[in-house]
Amino acid sequence: MNGNTSITATVAHLLTPAERQHWKLAWLSTVDHKRIGVLYMLTGLVFFVVAGVEALLIRLQLAVPNNTLLGPDTYNWMFTMHGTTMIFLVAMPVLFGIMNYILPLQIGARDMAFPRLNALGVWLVPFGGILLHFSFLAGGPPAVGWFAYTPLSEAPYSSQLGVDYWAISLLVLGIGSVSAGINFIVTVLTQRAPGMTLRRLPLFTWMSFCNAFLVILALPILNAGLVMLLIDRLLGGRFFLPFGGGSAIMWQHIFWAFGHPEVYIVAIPAFAILSEVIPVFSRKPIFGHEFVAASTVVIVFLSLLVWAHHMFTVGLGHTVDLFFVAASVLIAVPTGVKLFNWSATMVGGRVRFTTAMLFCVTALLQFLIGGLTGISHATAPLDWQTKNSYYLVAHFHNIFVGLIVFAILGAIYYWFPKMSGRMLSERLGKWTFWLMTIGFNLTFMIQHVLGLAGMPRRTFTYPDLPGWTWMNMVSTIGAFFMAAGSIVFVWDLVTSLFRGKPAGNNPWNAWTLEWATTSPPPHENFDALPPIHSRRPLWDYMNPDRPDPVVPVGGAIDTFRPDKIKAGVLTFIISEAGFFGVLILAYLFYNATSQSGPGQQQLDVLKTGIFSICLFASSFTIWRSEAGLRANKLGKMKAWLIATIVLGGIFIVGQGLEYWSLFQSGVTVGLDLFATTFFTLTGFHGLHVSFGLLALLVVLGVAFARNFKNGHFPALGAVGYYWHFVDVVWVFVFSIVYIWPLIR
Amino acid sequence: MTTQQFLTSAWTLNAAAFVASGAALVMYVRAFGVNRRIGYLLAGLAVFVLTLISPLNALASGYLFSAHMLQHILLLLIVPALLLMSLPRLVSLGPRSWLIARPLVGWIAGVGAMWLWHARPLCNAAVSSQFVNVVQISSLLLLGAIFWWQILAPREDERMSPPGAVLYLFSACVACSVLGILITFSPVSVCPIYAQPPVDRLGIANLVQSNWGITPDKDQQIGGLLMWVPMCLVYLSAIIAQLARWFAHPVPHAPLTEKAL
Repeated sequence: MNGNTSITATVAHLLTPAERQHWKLAWLSTVDHKRIGVLYMLTGLVFFVVAGVEALLIRLQLAVPNNTLLGPDTYNWMFTMHGTTMIFLVAMPVLFGIMNYILPLQIGARDMAFPRLNALGVWLVPFGGILLHFSFLAGGPPAVGWFAYTPLSEAPYSSQLGVDYWAISLLVLGIGSVSAGINFIVTVLTQRAPGMTLRRLPLFTWMSFCNAFLVILALPILNAGLVMLLIDRLLGGRFFLPFGGGSAIMWQHIFWAFGHPEVYIVAIPAFAILSEVIPVFSRKPIFGHEFVAASTVVIVFLSLLVWAHHMFTVGLGHTVDLFFVAASVLIAVPTGVKLFNWSATMVGGRVRFTTAMLFCVTALLQFLIGGLTGISHATAPLDWQTKNSYYLVAHFHNIFVGLIVFAILGAIYYWFPKMSGRMLSERLGKWTFWLMTIGFNLTFMIQHVLGLAGMPRRTFTYPDLPGWTWMNMVSTIGAFFMAAGSIVFVWDLVTSLFRGKPAGNNPWNAWTLEWATTSPPPHENFDALPPIHSRRPLWDYMNPDRPDPVVPVGGAIDTFRPDKIKAGVLTFIISEAGFFGVLILAYLFYNATSQSGPGQQQLDVLKTGIFSICLFASSFTIWRSEAGLRANKLGKMKAWLIATIVLGGIFIVGQGLEYWSLFQSGVTVGLDLFATTFFTLTGFHGLHVSFGLLALLVVLGVAFARNFKNGHFPALGAVGYYWHFVDVVWVFVFSIVYIWPLIR
Repeated sequence: MTTQQFLTSAWTLNAAAFVASGAALVMYVRAFGVNRRIGYLLAGLAVFVLTLISPLNALASGYLFSAHMLQHILLLLIVPALLLMSLPRLVSLGPRSWLIARPLVGWIAGVGAMWLWHARPLCNAAVSSQFVNVVQISSLLLLGAIFWWQILAPREDERMSPPGAVLYLFSACVACSVLGILITFSPVSVCPIYAQPPVDRLGIANLVQSNWGITPDKDQQIGGLLMWVPMCLVYLSAIIAQLARWFAHPVPHAPLTEKAL
């Protein structure tokens, strides 16, 4: 095949004949999960180059002692941007992209549950990325680390706009991630092919599904923290400013309550990839499927519980440390046993060391090292010594690069044939693999030693101490090996896309459903599906004489398939509850002792009580409206809907009047801690009521424009759930803010 | 007083606890005979009695908030769970189950028992008044039983499905963790009766504060942390059991025979 025709053939894969007329928009306006998946990954690749260059600059600065290549400020920008970009703009988008592409295929679905929401999620990534990097033009990027500890990140200490761009961009990315998490959950619940029961889900899908819960639970915590930080910086709030009565430690709690699960948000997909690739190239089903599946749930649970081990050096006290040492060591159990599952899968198998398999096996080994140093950090006394040294840098790069990036590379070598219809080059793949592996271990293994020798992290240079210089030089050389590996990898991607060997449907003889269709799959994914009786339907189909044992259907829950829109709204409500939970906790914490300031006394409980009754009554009216729809009485439905909107409107007007009178008497956001927490909590509730009102108005418009004689109008029920939720939040807010001061 | 003296002398003869346990044992044997599951009953009753007669109870009555919290957890989560597990497989609430066998009711019972009894006036009253203390213990057992019924009901068809049970336990853990976090970091005392200098009936105030080094601040922190971390591990154990049930049992909803009803 000569180059020209193969390029034509590739282009034919990229665009259908009809799309060639408007090719510029075909990929930009797409709602197809496969293209969105590719867009996620390409965005991640672009930012990988950006953050990779930043990493090289950091290593160049550290290559020799007393270096002046980057000044201290520039160095702080670089490591802040490197960390933030690699986590939020590389690891998460690339993993979300892989899930986006593979997850619907593995369950035999045509697309994600909400294709348009999916498109929103992917476009929020470049939007957030551009916002973050725009700070380069607006007075300099943030220089506060990826965790942006307060009070350093507060306005008095970081007066430039960098931190504002950082916070707003992470907020945008956080919203996008929550939307993706909701979409994954609802897709698995509602879009599975007949026969694909919950217990028959392939491990990659099951673990992505569990992971999506972690996304919708953890990201809202960060979002709440970010809005609090922004309120401090932009409106003069006092949340995290010690001299204003706030608590700087509070930010660390919020950040790590998100940050620790975040590690698992990017690690569990890597586990999921290993659980898919290792069995296929060992020609054996995974050892202990049930254990791997169940332990994932346990990891999700534990990861939300142990964040305080990131804060041993803060000085929480021995008591707190003790509990979190114990809980953190526990998390090693489900993770550690997983390593045995993957190893036992290879034992006795016919192992084929393709590039994909090499990357995954190496990920396993690097994760073993990173995991063991992780456990050493769970021990508080050792943590005190090594937390701010390169020992920690080496530890978490073993997780983020050694495990996650290597698993991603394995996944791309494994699934690229499915996505493009062509094989990646095994020869270039081996080059990539060895350059990356040698480079990675040169860079980071030696940093364990440097850290134990006392080299502190986050400092822009170091004196010429014995041993430090050559070790840092080795580390820098390793980084350039990795850069070379990355260049070979991108070269492989580009050349193979046009000139790679045609892949066929199932080049690896794999077992899950994504291999039961053409490569790349048609727009609607499948013409026909093989029957699904086990976790390896394609194996059963190809080996009818020795199929896997049938996984029986375990009751109604196993085939559970809720209404798509309601499932989506309920999942969204779970994540919103997390967001409000943090705001409410912050309010309780800061108002535990009665404030002496003027704020609390100015609240008019009676007046707000009356407006609150209007809001609570609107829960009743929307329930009546739904009853009207069910009874097919459309007039009744619309009337009750209008009543709901009027009652909600009265509440908003009432809140506006209350704000006005508070402003008049000098109570503004920055006055004291009460005012900051009060306006944040009630303000975000008011914002949610306003969004609810908008949604209700849209529903009302649709109700007038169309005829729902058949009673099928799921949007009303969905908005109803949301409206009830907003009311329930107000029950809590009203009791805590207005009633509690009266009775205590 | 030394620690050893305290541990040997601070046992109280709580007649009511013995009588209640004895009565429960007699009723159990008369209703179900001696069967394999009686072990759970004995374990449950043993934990119950020990909670109320051991030095733990002495510490909880006025000295240590954290000891009270441990009692609270044992009475709400451990004892009722063991008692429910001792019931033979066929026991059913019958027509009464419409009220009890509801996840929302169980969830509110379990989480509500935690939050309600840590409201400042109630928490104080449970220490200062013998009557409120008895009400507290009984309500913890009852509410704990309602909480666990959703998961440990003897009959499979009165339990939640395993994935539902995982969400149920997880959300209950979150709700209790939130309270634990508040108690751990609260700058004010949750149960001020423990923070005041105690009426030193046993003469151990010095032992607790100086020898053990448990100041009122640290005491409350331990209490909050007990609710935050170990209590969640109880829920986690239940979650693991549910996952085992989900993946192990081929058909969770076995058809009921006439005899079983």
